[in-house]
Formats: sequence, structure tokens, C-alpha cells
Amino acid sequence: MSEPGATPDENWRIIDGGVHDEPTHHALDDVLIDRLDDGEMAPTIRFWYRTGPAVPIGRFQAYADEVADEYVRDHDIDVVRRITGGGAMYAEPGAVITYSIYLPRAAVADDIERSYERLNRWAIDALRDLGLAAVHEPLNDIAHEDGKIGGAAQLRRSNAVLHHVTMSYALDIEAMLRTLRIGEEKLSDKAVTSAEKRVTRIADYVTEDREAVIDRLKDEFRATYGGEEGSLTDDELTTAKRRAETTFRTDEWNKRL
Amino acid sequence: MEHTGSMKVPDGKLVTVTATYGDTIESVTITGDFFLEPPAAREKLERVIEGRPTAVSKPELVDAIETVDAELIGFSAADLAEAVREAIDR
Repeated sequence: MSEPGATPDENWRIIDGGVHDEPTHHALDDVLIDRLDDGEMAPTIRFWYRTGPAVPIGRFQAYADEVADEYVRDHDIDVVRRITGGGAMYAEPGAVITYSIYLPRAAVADDIERSYERLNRWAIDALRDLGLAAVHEPLNDIAHEDGKIGGAAQLRRSNAVLHHVTMSYALDIEAMLRTLRIGEEKLSDKAVTSAEKRVTRIADYVTEDREAVIDRLKDEFRATYGGEEGSLTDDELTTAKRRAETTFRTDEWNKRL
Repeated sequence: MEHTGSMKVPDGKLVTVTATYGDTIESVTITGDFFLEPPAAREKLERVIEGRPTAVSKPELVDAIETVDAELIGFSAADLAEAVREAIDR
């Protein structure tokens, strides 16, 4: 029997392109998972290209606990609350690899721990192929023995699942520690967060540039799930840009906790 | 009084509870790097904790938390109850 989430029987769309600001990327996640849930879209994987440094924070995190507010304001870093749970991370254009997978709920294991492992597997295979000994680390991390390479987060709807991942390619760790409050002196042992784990960067182990790593990821994805390169429709992008204005660019959403 | 209590789940997530309370728990906010499906269950969890006496036991809190139809991912009802107790014991 084939494993759920690993069957190339869907007409996948692979979107690798389109530079957007941080709120628009999160709005795209929200719009595309809605469209798939409503049966209006084919399963899709979308690679993110950012316009500037950003901090995507977890849906349930307290803004003030995660972000060094003054540093973020001084450096024009966009802090946007995700629609998924999990932890805050720091992202810079060209220094991380982020992608979102929107797939039918029927193709995803009901067991959440197992579904993270299954949906990270192709990416881990691609990294291993490049010579980086990556492993899945439950619940939701992609790791190397030297530290965390990246993290995944999921959101489930009735008919659709969003699984998005950010990996560090060549992140400026010092900037990360200044941006996220994990870099501050710990107030107590209990004040630590999951992001505290040491971050490991793909470029420290792999000679290929970021574009080549993304190409390898796409190849592995295509070999596992199938799919054709495509792009966002005008309507998807227009709807997302509107939703960025009404939600993901507002303090009401980003600072609601 | 307003206090915050946190529970770092071993190999799991951080769950933080901020509570205002006198003789009863007046308001509760649950934050952290956990996962929760559906996401709107966070407010429901807060509402079932609110209004209970400050002397509420951990097992009573666990029972209340488990009445909410939600999947807690990276933490358990007992972890959340522990974070609540910690917030109101300080």
C-alpha cells in the first residue's frame, strides 16, 4: 500500500518565483489553503522569495515575548504572525529557504507526529543527497547532529493541510539573536523557547549555492509527488494582497497576543 | 493579581499562562510555541479555566481542559493545567 502523502497521483503545481513582502506571503498561505479546502485549487508547493528581513512568529506566541521590539523597529524587520502554530524564526532574503505545501487532507496521515515526518522526508532526502546528514527530529524539526536546520508547521482544515518549512541556508546568526528575544540573557530556565536550540546552516556543509539547493529540493519533490512548474493566478495574488492589507499588515493580527 | 506561569514540556513546546485572579480565576491568556487544532480552541481553553476558584486542583483543571474539543499538539492537558497552577500559585 502506498503511504499517504507520497503518492504522485495529484496534479501538483510547483511555484518557484515571485518576490513578495512578508505580509503578502502569509496572506498567500491563508488564501491558498482556503482555495484548496474549497476544492478550487490543485495541490501546490510554493517557494518564498522575500523583500526584506522578517520574523514570522507562531500563531499562539506573545509578540512581546519573542521579538526584541526596539531592534526590529530600528532595522525595519517585518514581524508577521503566521496562521500556523510553532515558534518564531528570523528570516533574511537569500539566507533561508522557505516553502509552503498545500495538500489534500486525505493525502496526509491523521497522526500529526507521523505526518510531519512523512512531509519532511523528501526534503531530508534532498539535503542528504547534497551531502548534508539531515534527520527529522520530532515533532517538527529538520536537524543535523550539530543543531537545528529548520522547522515545519502545519495547519489543518476540513479538506486541506498547509505544511510550511523554513530552513537556514546562510542565516546571520548574530542578527537572529539580536532580533529574537532568545538572544537575551535567560531570565530563568523556564523562559527558554524551542528556538533556543543551536541553529545549523546548510551552507556550512554544502558547497552548492542556494538556488542549486532549491533546484535539488524541487527535483526531489517532483520525483516524490510529481507536478509541473506553474505560477500564481492573478486572482490568487490580488486576493492575497487584499488580505495582507486587512489582516497580515495590521497590528490587530500581528500583535493580538 | 496578575501572574504568569510557564510549562516547558520535555522534548515538547512551551506553554505560558498569564492569569488575573483574586478568589477566582478572572482571566486567562494562553500563549506559546505549541500547535493546536483548531486554532480557535485556544480561546475555548481559556474560557473553561476562567471563573474557577483559585484553589482549583490540577485534576479539576485537567478535566475542564479535556471538555474542549481540540487536539493539543506538543503539550498535554496536564501540562496546561500545570502552567495554570504555576501562574496562580505565585
